[in-house]
Amino acid sequence: MPRSIWNGTITFGLIAVPIKVHSATEDKSVHFHLVHEKDGARVNLKRFCSKEGKEVPYKQVAKGYETRAGEYVMLSQEEINAAAGERSRLIELEEFVCQEHIDPVFYDRSYYLGAGEDGQDAYRLLHDALARCARAGIGRWVFHNREYLVVVRPMRDDPGGARKGEAGRRANGRSAGILGLHTMRFADELVDAADLEVPEPSRAPSKREIEMAGELVDSLHHKFKPGAFKDTYRERLLDMLTRKAKGEEIEIEQPREHEPSDDLMAALEASLASGGKGSRKRKKSTARS
Amino acid sequence: MARSLWTGSLSFGLVNVPVVLVTAVRDLDLHFHQLHEKDGAPIEVKRWCSKEDVEVPSEELTHSYEFDDGKEVVVSDEELDAVEPRKTRTIDVEQFVDLADVDPIYFDHPYFLLPASEDDGSTRAYRLLAEVMAGTERAALGRFVMRAKEYLAIVRVRNGVLTLTTMLFADEVRPAKDVDGATQKAHKPAAKELSAAIAVVEELSTEWDPDKHKDQYRKRLKDIVARKRKGGTVKAPKAVEEPSPVPDLMAALERTLAEMKGEGNGERSRKRQKQEA
Repeated sequence: MPRSIWNGTITFGLIAVPIKVHSATEDKSVHFHLVHEKDGARVNLKRFCSKEGKEVPYKQVAKGYETRAGEYVMLSQEEINAAAGERSRLIELEEFVCQEHIDPVFYDRSYYLGAGEDGQDAYRLLHDALARCARAGIGRWVFHNREYLVVVRPMRDDPGGARKGEAGRRANGRSAGILGLHTMRFADELVDAADLEVPEPSRAPSKREIEMAGELVDSLHHKFKPGAFKDTYRERLLDMLTRKAKGEEIEIEQPREHEPSDDLMAALEASLASGGKGSRKRKKSTARS
Repeated sequence: MARSLWTGSLSFGLVNVPVVLVTAVRDLDLHFHQLHEKDGAPIEVKRWCSKEDVEVPSEELTHSYEFDDGKEVVVSDEELDAVEPRKTRTIDVEQFVDLADVDPIYFDHPYFLLPASEDDGSTRAYRLLAEVMAGTERAALGRFVMRAKEYLAIVRVRNGVLTLTTMLFADEVRPAKDVDGATQKAHKPAAKELSAAIAVVEELSTEWDPDKHKDQYRKRLKDIVARKRKGGTVKAPKAVEEPSPVPDLMAALERTLAEMKGEGNGERSRKRQKQEA
């Protein structure tokens, strides 16, 4: 586990829990550089003063907030940082909620919490109390000069594996034994589904179609096992890049556009007949072609 | 209507639902422009070719990948799309799972899926999938490729609209085994301590109500901008002192509970606690 990225204290009531924050995730995306197509040379960003037309070194760049078209209020980084507030080393758990009531759309980034110096007993107490009553604490966390809404909760047994159903949910107390922290989105940052205009069909799906689709859902129902899903693209992407670097020509296969299913009933019947595996079978044949 | 970020099909058995992906997150952050400190003029950022010393128009931009040994290879968008052509255009529903079984650590970014067109074929297939999932706690899992990255995605229904949340792959979640969770026997709380701590948690328990949590950071930043605009000064607030761990947990729990009961109101007791601090 890499070193902690933040040290501070969680409080609930008058109990202080010293903690260390560790990142829980890592980005495995393949990163690219921006280059000039013609000569393959790196593209850099250069800053020019719009008044003088001259290049401006980074040291001479200030930040400005546009209050009205073309009118800026200039601020220093220290002034912007002041918005972080006064609780820079403190996460006060103000209330506790049932974690299962929090919709997935609110979760942003995830971290692990470790016990800080002289804080093991308090850490364990908070962990065990939350696990026992299946609750999560809500608080605010100042990280990199910005304040976040956070949820603190006991982590499940093995975030990388499946839990054992209802029993697992209840046995959260005997979990991995560590606390996790998630930064959360604010409600006003989320687009309300009710504000979207979703085009409706002239005729709703029939009862029979819904029943058959329900059977298809049942036939594809599995226990969630995160390890069962692998990023196959990353590996194939790196393979393609290696081949291209060796001078191999890369064959461009046009992605096929799908036609919407005109006859829903027929598509459902065929899907059920193939045991819900229709899409997977087709995938293989696409790969061969 | 929000800009569509990806266009393709959600494929469920042999049923294809043509969809577009739009973000479910609104950017409410205050954005700052770069200014030239000396004259306050806005900075223009230009893309510059490192070899020729000229500005590069956006249509002449492409990407390169750098290998560990420093060797580089230029790659086009078409070549990237050709790596997994099907996944670049299709989200194949591989299985349905119980939403409650998915640990929140996997959730990444929320989006909406909307029918790609208004024709009856697209909208009926869309409505069928929405209706069938609406009645269950089940969500569809599939993978797709967007902007040269493969995503695991979970699709479910909220208010009649298909919601897609991108997820992390298992290898993007770090193992937690080296985090100090104070799991040794010596740190196990006494039964009395644990029940007092549970009582504190229960006392402060409430329904999850996302609307009541406001972004105070955004508000403070707006205030700072307003103050500066009027020619005022901005001072960093003094940090609240970090409390030290208490040697006697039981005493601290009892004091907390006594305060809560004395005040009969969690809100006020916390205020008092702040004043004491």
